[in-house]
Amino acid sequence: MPRVIFHVDMDAFFASVEQRDHPAYRGQPLIVGAPPDQRGVVCAASYEARKFGVRSAMPSRTAAKLCPQGIFVRPRMDVYRAESAQIMEILRAATSCVEKVSVDEAYLDLSESFATFTDPDAALVAALPAAKEMKLRIHAERQLTASIGIGANKFLAKLGSDFQKPDGLTLIPERDKAAFLRPLPVRSIHGVGPVTAHALEQCGIATIADLQDTKANLASVVGSWAGTLKARAFGDDDRPVDPSDERKSISAETTFLKDTDDRPTLRVALREAADDVAHALEKEALGALTVQIKVRYSDFTTLTRQIRLEDPLADAREIYRMACYLLARDRLVSAPLRLIGIGLATLVPSRGPQQLRLPL
Amino acid sequence: MKFSVSKEKLLEGLQVVQNVVSTRTTLPILSNVLLQADASGLRLTTTDLDVGISGGIEAQIEKEGATTLPARRLASIVRELPAAEVVVEVDSKNVASIRCGQSFFKILGLPEEEFPPLPKFEGAKEFTLKQSDLRDGLRKTAYAISTDETRYVLNGILFSFKDNKLTMVATDGRRLALVDIELEFARSQEVEIIVPTKCVTELQRLVGTEGDIKMTVGENQVAFEVNGTLLVSKLIEGNYPNYKQVIPGEAKDRVTLERDLFLNAVHRVSLLASEKSNSVKLVFSKGNLEIAANTPDVGEARESIAVNYKGRDFSIAFNPEFLQAPLRALPDDEVFLDLIDEMSPGVIKVQTPFLYVLMPMRIS
Repeated sequence: MPRVIFHVDMDAFFASVEQRDHPAYRGQPLIVGAPPDQRGVVCAASYEARKFGVRSAMPSRTAAKLCPQGIFVRPRMDVYRAESAQIMEILRAATSCVEKVSVDEAYLDLSESFATFTDPDAALVAALPAAKEMKLRIHAERQLTASIGIGANKFLAKLGSDFQKPDGLTLIPERDKAAFLRPLPVRSIHGVGPVTAHALEQCGIATIADLQDTKANLASVVGSWAGTLKARAFGDDDRPVDPSDERKSISAETTFLKDTDDRPTLRVALREAADDVAHALEKEALGALTVQIKVRYSDFTTLTRQIRLEDPLADAREIYRMACYLLARDRLVSAPLRLIGIGLATLVPSRGPQQLRLPL
Repeated sequence: MKFSVSKEKLLEGLQVVQNVVSTRTTLPILSNVLLQADASGLRLTTTDLDVGISGGIEAQIEKEGATTLPARRLASIVRELPAAEVVVEVDSKNVASIRCGQSFFKILGLPEEEFPPLPKFEGAKEFTLKQSDLRDGLRKTAYAISTDETRYVLNGILFSFKDNKLTMVATDGRRLALVDIELEFARSQEVEIIVPTKCVTELQRLVGTEGDIKMTVGENQVAFEVNGTLLVSKLIEGNYPNYKQVIPGEAKDRVTLERDLFLNAVHRVSLLASEKSNSVKLVFSKGNLEIAANTPDVGEARESIAVNYKGRDFSIAFNPEFLQAPLRALPDDEVFLDLIDEMSPGVIKVQTPFLYVLMPMRIS
């Protein structure tokens, strides 16, 4: 049975909801997030604001510098979550196999509906009307636009949804997938962050084409992830769409080019991981009560250590501090590391009264 | 070694030192109390290597000597002894025979030589404080100590000897308590140390209301001496954060509150604060303070207090526990509550040099 996977990604979701609800914001560079005179980051930026280089997770101060005429509004998490529920309902009309990745993103597995097809690409093409219908319904009922990617797996579907934003619809056929991927930078592969990208670049690998063609031993660069990375480069991905809802944990990790115990390098990687998980938390309006650090040594021994907190944590710097604390407490950097990562668990909604902290 | 001692005195002596004994230790000797009998009487000492405490009691020494015995076991035996007089005899193998009335106990000890000695102080700075002052300072700050192991420098009280005063500070990052005590000392004596929680707890048990207490500050340890009892502790190494920067300047609005009335009202209203949000709201309007709390699907509580408030209407939310803690610790009839706005720290003050800075809760 050919696989038919959709990745539905709402366009500038928070900003679009605000522009829909406030006509005055339409056509304006709108920035949802912390006010520019306060510490905090951008949660979402309208396409008008993106033209100025404003991006999610960027400090609001920086955003204000790039886009001085930007309109800053505080996020209304409850509204977005309610909106998200409505949109997920529309998606579920097409299939019950919906994996909600975040408040504005989901994978759908429609393979069952096209089970009679034998040619994988014929099945994908046959699914196009369903995607168009989905986009139309979202627009008609919610006055919002979504971009949808269609592919034979999650990786390709996600690439597709990102390909022609906003209001895009991209089908990546199985037949052409390897060629389609070739010109894309390695960063397009989910999981390749700045550190891995840099490591690959050191080996002369900048595009997916390089990755496809390389004879280099990728394991020496990205460790056990080499197999997966190579598979992705050829557009292969067998991860199932998991319809069980609710996130139980959030994590981010980095595999080093060379095993290292260099403190500045570790700190950079850890900060990056902290920023990533904090951003994911913010997007979901969640806080974490458990912070976990993960390290892997040269011999692949992998250790995790965690700490349970009294108050839910959401701030990137605090997450980073906890991670450093765990590393120090259990003396985990006793040998060079091949991987370092941060995981968050026991996620709780961050709404409701929040104890403010003294700036000590 | 042989001595006789009153049951009451021995029990008292053991109670002073037994808290320090660690319950979970890989070093068996740390579960023991060191007993030293000499011409001056009987000395009892315990340590967990971080904190050590030693006190003397009156005893009739028949034969001088020293040994160590399991502290908690010894205390539980002495507590139950049937008569007023106890005779303890220890042989060369550290086996102790305890006789009292018709009772006889034999317990096995460990040699004195294994017991880690309490640290010696060299080049130390000495301060003499009124016990009542120290007791007061501990009471007004200790509740604010952080239990967050990730910020170990906050797991104690800062003792800052500077400009002829001792400033004691404790904070957990959400609230901060500070007390100033006037004290004369030479400029060369100025020093800042962080006394760990365990030592603070022991110290609170030790200090009374009359007389002085001697405090000795060494390189990385501190000692307190009062009425023949010596408490020694390692200090927390590291720099205490710059607490001065979080103390708000001029207050916009000051309200004077009857401490008891305010404390009781907050306590009552907090009964309806939800476990999840754990906040009470202070709603100020002209001449009135309303304290309110609610829990969805459970109910709500409100109580009003007439106050000398003249500013704009506004409300601010606090964790009720954090609001009550200083009110319970203060003896004053009247407290001042200084506020700026709903996102800025509130400050509780009294007529004496005390300060409590409390961050509000953001209600979104």
